[in-house]
Amino acid sequence: MTYICHELVLISIFSILAMSLNLLVGYLGLASMAQAAYYGIGAYTAALMSLTLNTPLPLNMLAAALLAGLSAMGISWCALRWHDDYFVLATFGAQIILFSVFKNWVSLTNGPAGLGGIAQVSFFGFSFDTPFKFLMLAAPVAFACFLLIRALARAPFGRLLLAIREDEIFTLTLGKDVRRYKVTASAISAALAAIAGALYAHYISFIDPTSFSATESILIISMVIIGGAASLTGSLLGATFLIVLPEALKFVNMPESVAATGRQLLLGLSLVVLMVYRPQGLLGTYRFGRNQ
Amino acid sequence: MRQAIVYGVISGSTYALIALGFALIYNVVRFFNFAHGAVFCAGAYLNYCCFVIFRLPFWLSASIAVILAALLGVSFEFLVFKRIRKRGGNSLVLLIASLGLLISVQSIIAMVFGNEIRTVRSGLVEEGFSLFGARITSIQFNILLTSLLLVLATSAILRWTKMGTALRAVANDPELAATKGIPPQKVIYFTYLLGSALAAVAGIMVSLDVSMNPTMGFDALLYGIVAVIAGGVGSVSGAYLGGLLLGLAQNLGVWKIPSEWKDAIAFAVMILFLLLRPQGIFGKRIFKAQV
Amino acid sequence: MTPLLQAREVSLAFDGLLAVNRLSLEIFSGDIAALVGPNGAGKTSWFNVVNGLLRPSHGSVFFKGKEITNWSGDRVARLGIARTFQDLRLARGLSVFDNVLLARPFQQGETLLGALVRCWAWARQEENAKVAARNLLQTVGLEEMASSMAQDLSYGQQKLLALACCLSTQAGLLLLDEPFSGIHPELVSRLIQLLDRLASEGKTILFIEHNLEAVKKVARRVIVLDRGSKVADGGPGVLERPEVLDIYLR
Repeated sequence: MTYICHELVLISIFSILAMSLNLLVGYLGLASMAQAAYYGIGAYTAALMSLTLNTPLPLNMLAAALLAGLSAMGISWCALRWHDDYFVLATFGAQIILFSVFKNWVSLTNGPAGLGGIAQVSFFGFSFDTPFKFLMLAAPVAFACFLLIRALARAPFGRLLLAIREDEIFTLTLGKDVRRYKVTASAISAALAAIAGALYAHYISFIDPTSFSATESILIISMVIIGGAASLTGSLLGATFLIVLPEALKFVNMPESVAATGRQLLLGLSLVVLMVYRPQGLLGTYRFGRNQ
Repeated sequence: MRQAIVYGVISGSTYALIALGFALIYNVVRFFNFAHGAVFCAGAYLNYCCFVIFRLPFWLSASIAVILAALLGVSFEFLVFKRIRKRGGNSLVLLIASLGLLISVQSIIAMVFGNEIRTVRSGLVEEGFSLFGARITSIQFNILLTSLLLVLATSAILRWTKMGTALRAVANDPELAATKGIPPQKVIYFTYLLGSALAAVAGIMVSLDVSMNPTMGFDALLYGIVAVIAGGVGSVSGAYLGGLLLGLAQNLGVWKIPSEWKDAIAFAVMILFLLLRPQGIFGKRIFKAQV
Repeated sequence: MTPLLQAREVSLAFDGLLAVNRLSLEIFSGDIAALVGPNGAGKTSWFNVVNGLLRPSHGSVFFKGKEITNWSGDRVARLGIARTFQDLRLARGLSVFDNVLLARPFQQGETLLGALVRCWAWARQEENAKVAARNLLQTVGLEEMASSMAQDLSYGQQKLLALACCLSTQAGLLLLDEPFSGIHPELVSRLIQLLDRLASEGKTILFIEHNLEAVKKVARRVIVLDRGSKVADGGPGVLERPEVLDIYLR
C-alpha cells in the first residue's frame, strides 16, 4: 500500500512536469529540452530555502516558481530570436549548463553529494511524512495545475497559442505579439515545473543532480509526446505509463540493470514508432506537421 | 600551454569529424539528426567486436565497422525518416524520431555489451614522441592525420564527383535541384552514407584515444552540434573548423577553468554564437521563416 | 490631403538582386487601388516591407503620418494594416469561427490574467466578440461553415475566411495579395461586390492581382510595377497603354 502511494506521488509530480511541458510542446509546437533543469531549479531553491531559512512549503514553492519563471523568460527570450529548430538546441544548451551548475557549484548545491535533511512538510502540527499523507498534498497540487493549464487552454489565450502553432506569421499579422506569448508560456511552464521540484525536494528529503539531467528532460518530453500533444489527460497518461513501466518490468523477473535499459529501449522504440505512425500520441490531436 | 593546444587540436579533430558528418546531413535534410550519435557509437562498438572479440586485424575491423555503421545510418533514412517525410512530418517530428533511434541503439548496445567504460588498445602503452614541444602518441598523431585526410577527401568528393555536386545543389536549393532532374532520394541516401561513415570513423578514433561506453553517442552529438553552430550552418568546412575551435576552446579553457565544466563551456560557446553570430563563422545568414 | 500610406524610395535587395527599386507610392484614404505587373515585379515584396515582415534596404514607409519602416509585423498590424497572403495563411487547425475571433483586437482573455480570472466585464467582451464574428461571417457568406475546421474549406472559401479575418482586426487599410486568383467566376463577382461595399464603408483597399478583368471592374486606381519600379499610376485606363501592354507581352 505504501508502495502504491509512493508511485502515485511520483505520478502526481511527473504529471505536473508533463502537463506544463505540454503547454509548450503541444499548444505552441515548441520542443523544449530544459524541463528537467527547471524542475531542478525548483527542487534546489526549495531545498536551500528550507535548509537555510526553515521556510514552509508554500513559500518555497513560490520562490521556486519565481526563480524558474524568470530564468525561463531570460532563456527563451534569447532562444526565440532564431528559427524554432534552434530553439530546441538552445534549450538543450540551457539544460546542460544548468545541470553543470547543479553538479559543479559545490559551495551552493553540494555537488554530486546532494542536499539532504530537507524538512518534512507540516501544517499546524500535522506532518506529511508518509507516502500516503504526502499523496494528500501532491495529488491536489497536481490537480490544481491541471485546472490552471486547462483554464489557460480554454481561454482566448489558449486559442492564441494554437494559432501561433498553426501559422506564426498569420498570427503576427493579426497584430498579436507572438514572441511575448512564447516567452510567457515558457515562463509558466518553467514555474510549474519548479513547483513539482519543490514538492519532490520535500517528499524525498534528499536531492542530487542526477534527477535533473538531460536524460530526465528526454523522459519528460517523451511523456508528453506519448500521451499526446495538446492533450492534458494525455500527459497524465504518459506520466503514468512511463512511471509504472519499470515497475511492471520488475514483475517479469528481469534483473535490475536490464530492466532499466529495457525501459530505455522501449522508450526509444515508442518514440520512433509514434513519430512515424501516430505523431499525435495516444490521446493528442496535433500531429506536428502539415495536417493532411 | 603548448600541450593544451596540441590536445585541443587532437580532440578538436574528432569533434570536427563528427560535426562534418552531421553538417553534411543537416544541409541536405534540414533537421538535426540525433541518430548521428547512434552511428558514432555503433562504429566504435562494431570495431571493438571485430578487433577485440574476433581478433581481426585492425584495418579489417575498422573497415567492417565503418561500412556496417554507414549502412545503419542509411537504414534509418530508409525505415524511418523517409516515411515520416512522406506523411508530412516537420523537422520536429524527425528530430524526436532520431532521438528515439539514438536511445534505442544506445540501449541495445548497453544490453549486449554492458555499461562499463571500455578502452581499445592496439598495442602497448607508449610514451609518444615530441611535436612542436608537446607530447603526442602515435595513435593521436594518426587520428590527426586521418581526420585531415578525410575532410580533404570529403571536400574532393563534394567538388569533383557527380554525386557530390548533386549533394551541394540539393543543399543549396532543393526545389531548383529537383527541377534540374537531380533525384533527391538518391542524394539523401548518399549523404547519409557519407555522413555516417565519417561518424563511425570518429567513433573508432575516440574509442582508441579516450574510451568508449554506450552513452558516448549522446555526448559526442552534443559537441558535434556546438561545432556545427560555431562553424556555421550551411558550411561544411565551417563545421570542421568549428570542431577544431571547440577542441581548442575546451582544452585552453580547462587550463584555467576546472575540467568538470567542460560541457558547460561547450554550450556556453554555442549560446554565445547563437546570440552574437547565429550563422557561425562561415555560414550564410539564417532567415527566420520564408514569408 | 495627407496620404494614408506613403512609401518613399523603398528598396529591397535579396542576395544582390533588387526586388524593389526605389519605389515611391502614396495611397489615400478611401482608395481602391490595384497593384499589377508581371511575376517578379516586386509586388509581394513591397507588401512584405509595408507589413513589417521584411526590412527594406533603403527608404522609408509612413502610415497615418507615423514612420513604420522598421516596425515589427504585429506592431504595424495593430496600427491598422491587415493583409492576406498569396499562399493563403490561416490557422488551419482551428475552426472558421475561432479564426475570426482570433483576429479581433483588444481581447482581455488573451492576457494571462484575463485567461485565469473570468470576471463579468471580460466575459461580456467575449460575448460581444462572438456576435461581431458571426456578423462578419455573414458578410462574407461563410456563416454556415462557422464550426468547420479551416482546413476543410474549399480554396475559395478559405480566401473569404482570410478576408473575414482581416475585417475582424478592424484595420482601415487592407492589403490583399491576389484575392481573385484560383476562385471560380461566381465567387469572383461576389468578391467584387464585397470589395465595393467595404470601400463604401470607409476601408482603403490595395490589392495585388493578375486577373485584369476583375481589376478593371473594381479598381479606381491602377499602379503598374515592373522589375521593382513603378511604370504607370492612374485610372484603369493605364492598362491599355502600349508600354504596359509591352511588359505583359514580354
